[in-house]
Amino acid sequence: MDITVNGTLHSLDLPDDTPLLWALRDGLGITGVKYGCGIAQCGACTVHIDGQAVRSCQVALGDTWGDVTTIEGLSAPDALHPVQQAWIAHQVAQCGYCQSGQIMQAVDLLSLNPTPTDEDIDQVMSGNLCRCATYPRIRAAIHTAASMMREA
Amino acid sequence: MYKTLFPLVLIGTAFAATAETGQPLDISALPEPGSIDASDALAAWDRIHDVASHPRCLNCHVGEDGIPLWGTVAQPDRPHGMAIVAGDSRIGAAGWSCRTCHQTSTRPNRVEHAAPHTGMDWQLAPVDFQWVGRTSAEICQQMRDPDRNGGRDAAGLVEHILHDAELIGFITWSFDPGAGRAPAPGSLQSHLEDMAIWTAAGMPCPQ
Repeated sequence: MDITVNGTLHSLDLPDDTPLLWALRDGLGITGVKYGCGIAQCGACTVHIDGQAVRSCQVALGDTWGDVTTIEGLSAPDALHPVQQAWIAHQVAQCGYCQSGQIMQAVDLLSLNPTPTDEDIDQVMSGNLCRCATYPRIRAAIHTAASMMREA
Repeated sequence: MYKTLFPLVLIGTAFAATAETGQPLDISALPEPGSIDASDALAAWDRIHDVASHPRCLNCHVGEDGIPLWGTVAQPDRPHGMAIVAGDSRIGAAGWSCRTCHQTSTRPNRVEHAAPHTGMDWQLAPVDFQWVGRTSAEICQQMRDPDRNGGRDAAGLVEHILHDAELIGFITWSFDPGAGRAPAPGSLQSHLEDMAIWTAAGMPCPQ
């Protein structure tokens, strides 16, 4: 079946109930998206479908309703998304495993709420777990990214 | 304007097939209005209340706080994890909608502990439909009140179940919630019949 990922149309010969996560990782070799739990409990597999953050482990390939964006397609390497720039500025990542999911969720948050409060951030990001507990840096980076995007 | 499809229910096809489950609902024996006595209707209401007060339904029929539950029969008041607040929209906060995890899909729910899905977009029931913390009499009064039940009259309440079955929506899902989840008591067919009995008798409520 056909699926557009990061602006490129792909044809995949996989069962239509394959989780989008595995279609991306095993079918297309796009490995920025991570497997954490497989049951929407951790957020590591977060990607965008038509700009909305979704847990790709919960989306059947055949139910994918729009264009998919992964961390690889969020920006060009020489022009990082403000959220990615803020992540670097705050040195958010420790082990890094959850970070692509964190960033994809944060981008969706800021697209809908350009001036999030601490409470807004905590609420929206509470489904993205970080076992290194980088949460204070995640929150700070989101505030920084919000400022950058408002000033852009 | 109230939804008035009861005649269609009674004279329409005897079986209303659900979209993909292949489990038809038999509507051939639903009672005529006025043919049910009060005691049978109240017994039907008690069974409807058994469904409405089951955690499978209560978990999303919450109050103004908009906090869904992960309740079970043993622990009905356990809040949804991840500090979820569905907000006034009842579909989630900005950047964090129910659909982030709960997909809209008629596929079977096969994975234990995964976010369940139905053929309808995931959402809390409207706040007027709060059943958590409500008595049987209070839920009954709400369900029969068109100002608090989505504008439905007796026929509309029956049609609501048939429409849900076509979509494989929340009512249908509650009786077949998939891996690891306790279903609401009875079946969609028995719930439809109870609703038809209760509404045919004028929707009497317990005191």
